[in-house]
Amino acid sequence: MKKPLLAAAMTLGLGLALAATPPNTLVIMKDADIPTLDPGQAYDTASYEFIENIYETLVTYKGKSASDLAPLLATSWTISGDGRTYTFTLRQNVKFHSGNPFTCADAEYTLRRNLVTNNPDSGNWYLAEAILGTSSNAADDKSITFAKIANGVKCNAQGQLVLTLPKRDPALLYKLAAANMSIIDKKWAIGLGEWDGTEATWKEWIGKDLTDSELSKKPSGTGAYQLVRREANSAVLKAFDGYWGGKPKIENVVWQLVKEQATRIEALKKGDADIASIGPRSSLSQVQGTPGLKVYDGITNNAATAIFMNENIKDPAILGSGKLDGNGIPANFFADVNARKGFAYSFDYDRYIKEVQLGKGVKRTMLLPESFFGYDPNVKTYSYDPKLATAYFKKAFGGQLWQNGFVLNASYRANSVAAQTAMEILKTNIEKLNPKFKINLTAKPWSEFLKSSQQGKEAMIIIGWVPDYADPDNFLYTFYSSNGYYFPRSNFKDSLMDSLLEQARQTTDPAKRKALYSQVGNRAYELAPYINIPAGLGFVVYSDKIKGLEENANTMFSGITLSLWKNLSKGSGL
Amino acid sequence: MLAFIVRRLAVLPVVLLALTLVIVGLLQFLTPAERAAAYVTSEQQLRNLDKIIRDKGLDQPFLVQYWSWLKEAVQGNLGFSKASNKPVTETIAERFPATLELTLYALVPILGFGVWLGTLAGLNKNKWIDQFARVFAVITYNIPTFVLGILLLVIFYGALGIAPGPGLISSETQVELLVNPVPRLTGLLSIDALLAGNWTVFWDVLHHLLLPVITLATISTATLIKVTRGAMLEVLSQDYVRTARAKGLPERVVNLKHARRNGLIPVVTLGGYTVIGLLQGAIITESIFGLPGIGSWGVDAAGKFDVPGLLGFALLAGVIVVVASLLVDVLYALIDPRVRFD
Repeated sequence: MKKPLLAAAMTLGLGLALAATPPNTLVIMKDADIPTLDPGQAYDTASYEFIENIYETLVTYKGKSASDLAPLLATSWTISGDGRTYTFTLRQNVKFHSGNPFTCADAEYTLRRNLVTNNPDSGNWYLAEAILGTSSNAADDKSITFAKIANGVKCNAQGQLVLTLPKRDPALLYKLAAANMSIIDKKWAIGLGEWDGTEATWKEWIGKDLTDSELSKKPSGTGAYQLVRREANSAVLKAFDGYWGGKPKIENVVWQLVKEQATRIEALKKGDADIASIGPRSSLSQVQGTPGLKVYDGITNNAATAIFMNENIKDPAILGSGKLDGNGIPANFFADVNARKGFAYSFDYDRYIKEVQLGKGVKRTMLLPESFFGYDPNVKTYSYDPKLATAYFKKAFGGQLWQNGFVLNASYRANSVAAQTAMEILKTNIEKLNPKFKINLTAKPWSEFLKSSQQGKEAMIIIGWVPDYADPDNFLYTFYSSNGYYFPRSNFKDSLMDSLLEQARQTTDPAKRKALYSQVGNRAYELAPYINIPAGLGFVVYSDKIKGLEENANTMFSGITLSLWKNLSKGSGL
Repeated sequence: MLAFIVRRLAVLPVVLLALTLVIVGLLQFLTPAERAAAYVTSEQQLRNLDKIIRDKGLDQPFLVQYWSWLKEAVQGNLGFSKASNKPVTETIAERFPATLELTLYALVPILGFGVWLGTLAGLNKNKWIDQFARVFAVITYNIPTFVLGILLLVIFYGALGIAPGPGLISSETQVELLVNPVPRLTGLLSIDALLAGNWTVFWDVLHHLLLPVITLATISTATLIKVTRGAMLEVLSQDYVRTARAKGLPERVVNLKHARRNGLIPVVTLGGYTVIGLLQGAIITESIFGLPGIGSWGVDAAGKFDVPGLLGFALLAGVIVVVASLLVDVLYALIDPRVRFD
């Protein structure tokens, strides 16, 4: 009895040799689940990673560029003189995984479906903003009718897709390149019980949450990979034989959800994963130098982070005395540009890069990723300079600020070490300048922190922005316009800045837009509405058997591979 | 006995009601914005926070929120889990078999090794095997599951390379399943593979479950060793054991038939509660080894304030606890004639 047991134990524990990942298979190990595979609902990088490989958009990013676009399902497009009508000529001889041919009806159905089902959890608001002139859906904005949607998105007699906008939107093409605008298989979707695309039923689908839709369970796209199996912690995809661009080199993709980082690191080291999510940067040392692994470092950060200085604080409770008497601050404390500049010169940017980003960070001239169109590297930046900070603080509020001091209550997102460290660096430097200066820091749960800041109730916060699409407007309007999304948090209003940003929205001429965004950057330097936090550079650790990753890396793609899987191949290592 | 079982099962809805009421009640200590965290995954989505709070009824009074959940729950709709992005019932149906599979395999070493070593220790008081069992139990009982799991993984997978990596099957087997799919009859992949005669998948699953099972079983095994040893020592000092020896019965018969059988009575009680303990352990073990069970889902649901997910998880745990307790009581009465169902 004991011998067979021992034999079984030997077989299980010791007898089997470990296999590395199969040669024709890409094995990805991630720490986050895939919320949905329905492009109409997806609004997160984990979902996008799959969607951008299963589906395709009308346009995409050109090579490694985040600012140049290239054709994908649309082979070409024209824009009318008034910038309001876009006509897309669509690719011929393209098939969906179901075998259905791709036609204009699919593109029309997809975008109409996105506009109809537009809901709070999806990213369809920006398509609605472009085509319907409002970010709302028909339940919240009664002016939206089916006719309005159908007129905005329709096929012409030549089988071209025509989008008609109520006003110019220079960001439209970038919006259409986002994975949530991927084209779905109309016939397949209707067969699964999704919206039938008609006016008769559209009202039933207004604002519908598609997270767990039938289409999410059984996707059919035109992309190079098709889903074969999806289980709780894993998914398997295989190369699509009928892909119009030729069958990809890697035959299968196996995705595994492994929450524990120590496990993912061991799997990478043992060759059981070709690529795995690892972070923060301090954990990189655990894999660096491992034979068979490569580190692709210095990847541009697509997010922009800033310390906000609210110029109209709407919560008396955090103002202390509410006066500049050394026991609090007035609600308009940051309305004085000298106070803002004093703070901007008090942040030690280099120390932050050294301590938080372990030397891998870049100081930005404006709140826009340097890889984006419109970024101007020549705009001046602030540096840590206690003398200049003192000089500006002495000028603020006619000298009262320096003389009386202040107590400022600032907050940051709980459990964010980077945010906490940034705030602590600022606090230390400010309090060193004058013993009457005092900053209290509070960690707040994320959603609570976001809500109170959105209501203008936080005096000073640190927060970032991740792009919806690769247009500078998505960052610069958000941060600097008095109609921008972040206005309630900063209450920064400058008529010149507003005018520049509106002008940039009204022109499709790249040269004009670029010049306008440079002016925006310079104006932001003059007025210092935010403290620009250096952007940490990213890194990816992957097996040296994977080829083509660095050559094709484009940070606008959401996948950990930084490129579509079809661009990769798998060899035998270095 | 039937009346006893029915009576005990009748308590189940009351337990579940109280359990879910407590959870929803405790969640009221969070603000509506905090409870909306599960639905807000990016700054951009925050633009809709007020609408999300309104749509999900998160600003409603406590009893209104509970009632709206309960109304749906009694009809079998436990809501939508943002942690799994699926309906709660579908999540449980999809993930519970993996936890059951892990738990069932863990019971083998717990009951086999634990009872065996505990009995031996009891029969050989203060001898080397007893000393070994006691030291072994003390050490293993005090190693936290998450430490043990990572330690085993780093040593046997990372350093020695004699154990497989995370997940229930290897990537090679994932690809093999594309060619030879295994029909999912029971949901337990090893059993389904066995039924389909697919030995590659069967051995791969067993291979992958080895370290998780050791991780999960260790603490419970230690407990069982201690309890079995104590029970054996107590039983061995009883008069009927002395009588059996006096009758001239061989020592083996005395030990196994008279002493161990009675010594196992408290072990049965513990065995039932071990199942509950295993469920707790599965939460950590599944997360470390990337297994697709309800444990890793529970962790996610808690981290994301996924209220329907948490309630669904608690309901399932409640059912398991009540059913396990019931089984213990029934078994107890069956093996110990002194205990009556009434």
